[in-house]
Amino acid sequence: MALAGCWRIALYKNVTRPRVYLRCPVVFGRACPVRPVCSRPAPGFEDTIFALSSGRGRCGVAVVRVSGPDATGAVRALTGLKRALIPRTALLRNITHPASKELLDRGLVLWFPGPHSFTGEDSAEFHIHGGPAVINGVLQALGSLPGLRPAEAGEFTRRAFHAGKLDLTEVEGLGDLIHAETEAQRRQALRQMAGDLGRLYNDWSQHLKHCLAHVEAFIDFSEGELIEDGVLNQVDTAVSKLQVEIQTHLSDERRGERLRSGVHVVIAGSTNAGKSSLFNLLCQRPAAIVSPIAGTTRDVVETPLDIGGFPVLLSDTAGLRETDDSVEREGVQRALKRVEVADLTLVVVDSTQLPQEPRMVPGFLNDYLNNVLPKKMEQGHVQQCLLIINKSDLLPNEHMSIIQRALSDAFTAAAVSILSCSTGAGLTDFLKMLQERVKTMCADPLVGSPSLTQTRHRTNLQKSIEALSQYHKYRDVDLALAAEGLRLGLTCLGRITGKVGTEEILDVIFRDFCIGK
Amino acid sequence: MLQLRRLLSYRSQRASDVAQHKYDVVVVGGGHAGTEAAAAATRVGAETLLVTQKIETIGALSCNPSLGGVGKGQLVKEVDALDGLMGRAGDYAGVHFSILNRSKGPAVWGPRAQLDRGRYREFIQSQLLKMPRLTVIEGSVEDLIVSAADSGKHRVTGVRMADGVGEILAHSVVITTGTFLSGSLFVGRTTSPGGRMGEPPSCAGLSRSLKEVLGLKLGRMRTGTPPRIIKDTIDFSLAKLHLPDPQPTPFSFVNRHTHCKPEDQLPCHLTYTTPGVEKVVRESLHVNSHIQQDTKGPRYCPSIESRVLRFPGRQHQVWLEPEGLTSDLVYPQGMSMTMPPELQLRLLREIPALHRAEIRTPGYGVQYDYVCPMQLFPWLQVKCVQGLFLAGQINGTTGYEEAAAQVQNTSLFTVQQLCGGHVICSRSSVSFQGLWAGVNAGRTALSLPPMSLSRTESYIGVMINDLVSRGVTEPYRMFTSRAEFRTSLRPDNADLRLTLPGFEEVGCVSSQRYSEALRVSRCLSEALIALQSFALSSQHWREKLRHARISEAKSTLISGEEMLQHKEVSFEMLASVFPETFAQYLEFSQRIKIEAVYRPHCENQKREMERIQEEESLTLPPDIDYLSLPVSLSNEVREILDRVRPDTLGAATRLPGVTPAAIVHLLNYVSKTERKTASKRTHTDFT
Repeated sequence: MALAGCWRIALYKNVTRPRVYLRCPVVFGRACPVRPVCSRPAPGFEDTIFALSSGRGRCGVAVVRVSGPDATGAVRALTGLKRALIPRTALLRNITHPASKELLDRGLVLWFPGPHSFTGEDSAEFHIHGGPAVINGVLQALGSLPGLRPAEAGEFTRRAFHAGKLDLTEVEGLGDLIHAETEAQRRQALRQMAGDLGRLYNDWSQHLKHCLAHVEAFIDFSEGELIEDGVLNQVDTAVSKLQVEIQTHLSDERRGERLRSGVHVVIAGSTNAGKSSLFNLLCQRPAAIVSPIAGTTRDVVETPLDIGGFPVLLSDTAGLRETDDSVEREGVQRALKRVEVADLTLVVVDSTQLPQEPRMVPGFLNDYLNNVLPKKMEQGHVQQCLLIINKSDLLPNEHMSIIQRALSDAFTAAAVSILSCSTGAGLTDFLKMLQERVKTMCADPLVGSPSLTQTRHRTNLQKSIEALSQYHKYRDVDLALAAEGLRLGLTCLGRITGKVGTEEILDVIFRDFCIGK
Repeated sequence: MLQLRRLLSYRSQRASDVAQHKYDVVVVGGGHAGTEAAAAATRVGAETLLVTQKIETIGALSCNPSLGGVGKGQLVKEVDALDGLMGRAGDYAGVHFSILNRSKGPAVWGPRAQLDRGRYREFIQSQLLKMPRLTVIEGSVEDLIVSAADSGKHRVTGVRMADGVGEILAHSVVITTGTFLSGSLFVGRTTSPGGRMGEPPSCAGLSRSLKEVLGLKLGRMRTGTPPRIIKDTIDFSLAKLHLPDPQPTPFSFVNRHTHCKPEDQLPCHLTYTTPGVEKVVRESLHVNSHIQQDTKGPRYCPSIESRVLRFPGRQHQVWLEPEGLTSDLVYPQGMSMTMPPELQLRLLREIPALHRAEIRTPGYGVQYDYVCPMQLFPWLQVKCVQGLFLAGQINGTTGYEEAAAQVQNTSLFTVQQLCGGHVICSRSSVSFQGLWAGVNAGRTALSLPPMSLSRTESYIGVMINDLVSRGVTEPYRMFTSRAEFRTSLRPDNADLRLTLPGFEEVGCVSSQRYSEALRVSRCLSEALIALQSFALSSQHWREKLRHARISEAKSTLISGEEMLQHKEVSFEMLASVFPETFAQYLEFSQRIKIEAVYRPHCENQKREMERIQEEESLTLPPDIDYLSLPVSLSNEVREILDRVRPDTLGAATRLPGVTPAAIVHLLNYVSKTERKTASKRTHTDFT
């Protein structure tokens, strides 16, 4: 019992005042003799971490927390503040992306210098608007700063704990929170793992593990054993291929983009179909000039919108027609370009331009679509457009229902919605349809509940690519440092898919090579 | 040699004389682990007794006549940095020195040497026998003397000798029985008890009491050794000549030269197996009982049988290594085998260079008991037995280097344990003061945060951490890939990492070695500071160093350190261009170059290292009953924790399947319990 007691004391002391018990001047492991040896990791040697600290999902205000030695730098980089930061005082600032200078949000910034902060380190909080695009934008911006990385589950608490900031009873209260977090993460991870995304990341991890194992085999066993020289060449190719694959994946990953900058919805169609009326109707203000004169809209008019809670960037474009007016021709060019990059195109048709004979209507609409949409990507694009038959109030009701019937019998390349911008008839149905579309585009079932994981993935993938380039840099100079690059790359991937241990690497070595010594 | 014999008879005593004497430390076994244990215990100031079956086999290399290699070389350097015997013995006995992996970066260089068996033994014996406070006796330990301690634990108080010699009392006992714990030898279909050919079997009693009295979980492992070939019967012209490094590099930080002159070194030879070898293996399977059994064998030091069975149709390397300067034997590395001797000869002769080879002693297999190392603390004390330490192959490792390395740690803690031991004894003298002193001493003896070598600090730390936290399923061998901080734990800086604290905190390093390490450390620091503060424009550098490829684009000043990071720039080059600044450090030019190249990478690793160290510093009580703990833990987690019983929060975090939540709950529970008992205790204090 007494023995048990002494252990508890040990633990208790360690827990409440860990600084005292952390290995005292351990010169052990100090590889470089120059650095002054200190008993505690000086704050400068810790990573700076960040994470969304408020709940996931949409909410009024979201809190993004940053902790670590570079927290000051992060605040300055995102807010452009030059003067001294005032501790524990809320400050309203524009928050911009440090590289692109793009405005992300306007929000409150709080500064908690260490040691009087939750974690005991320099910390900052950004209180921003709770939309996924804003949150993602800010997380993304923080991730792009050197020395910053997304926090691991429970890491703020762990730091607070290590700094002696938290009593264990306080940790108890947080325990459930951490629990919930990891549970959710696991569930989320499982869901992703079942999907293609997980398979893809896992695949990369496997490949990289293989590469690392081969390099390690070459380091540990090539002298005096039969490890073929070609092994390293294979690794070279495999690593380069991986880099390209990850890069491609990062650059054409549209979903993350959509959440950050909004779904691009473009209104297109021939002149005088009522595109600008639809635009004004959707943004509920006369943002675009509406007139009966064909070709009123010349340039692209844009506005950000919230549709069913999802961020949308809506553009109104010039009506498509052949014209001699050079300004209007430029407008048409721009319209077509905009349609090309759109996530969703709303193709507007003037109902009075429809053929008299209802049987002809579906064919007419298909031709119309083909005219509006860019030729090269027809197949893929057709699914991402909605056909809107406008000015339904100008046709007799009976005629409209005949057309409707004809449409439901025949095949059209896009979903059709009939409405009148002037009376508002059919608007509810149309909005429902639009919202449905936008939702599926943002929240893909594969990606699951959204953004944060995405940003974490992105940062880790980015870091992984950087680490892989270290392999090439040192491959011929110092294989130990080259392998270090692969190891780092694998660790970054491992943060997404699960860790890879030394034993697993040795398993690959012994499976692939006959180690005889 | 004559002088040595006299020394032996003088220093070593008859077993009957030492009975009834109480020693601080008794070391059982005179192999590599045993000799290093005894020497280290002596160095830290403990009165030590080494018990071995035969004094003349102390320091014997029972298997391959070589030391070091990739990964293992690091261990030799670290043992030497803590003032162990191995490195200096290697420098004295080496006959073929080479640095493996020379082209792959200094972090993974593998210093290695072929040894002269006789010289190695000679060195170890002469060193041991002149050590103060160390007594060596011949004899066989039959059993441990164990008494019951608190809460179902045991306490070792000495050893019982065979042949009626009696009991020897000790505060601590280090068992280093190698392959002798219930060892059996296999040749063909014959099995005989023993741990090494030609020596009596031993330790049956020990094995039994470890298992039955102390309730330790034992496992069984196997290994083997190749036949020894008579040198004159080998046709070396049919094998590839392999020369040593022209300038041998010593293992030890205190040696400038090896004992063997560069020109006196012996070569090795390399040859390959043929399809005929595979045929003999397959035909002899029915008379080869060792290979038929499924006891865990090493994947990386496999017998030739398992190699050709696992990778058929390939050529396998066979190294022909000299056994010594005067030996007429050759050691065929890679040809460990257990088939009947006549078939061994047939197999060897399938190799062209060995077509008329003769065998002196046949190869054989060994199976032996090991103690599952997860039952040990990181300082290699058996968790449930105070004062009992295990080291070497008994813990499931392979190789001399691994055995010796473990021991450095053991002995340090043996003595720490001792100091605590006195106080624990006085605890029983009912005074509260004594009790509290005992508790604190116990805490020191058990946890010793500054003493347990972290895996961030040394390969020794990596090895012990792997052993005690993950256990072993096959003999554990060191690879550089096991050390995640490999670029910081390099062979060249082992002295900076270990010698200084080894003297300052542990006391196992001699003062001469310490002051030399201090000097080296100081010079390296100065040199690096000089390099960092010496900056020129790229234009200027280009003029001075015409060979270096310096990019034109760089407009800022370039420091000397940055210049050294170029592959083609050496410290000697800088010193020849700027002698007034750098020439004084020429003695360390290689080490300076290495430091300069690795420093940025080591800085990056430091964060991760410190994270691991912090988590390792949070200790968990060894006696928690995880299965009945009133805390919300899943059964899965409970079982894992109960099985592994991690010592620290860090170890628990690394266990697969243990969630962060589980860890928080665990800590919380322990802290609450602590407070309750603490307040109760205070209460009784004052009533």
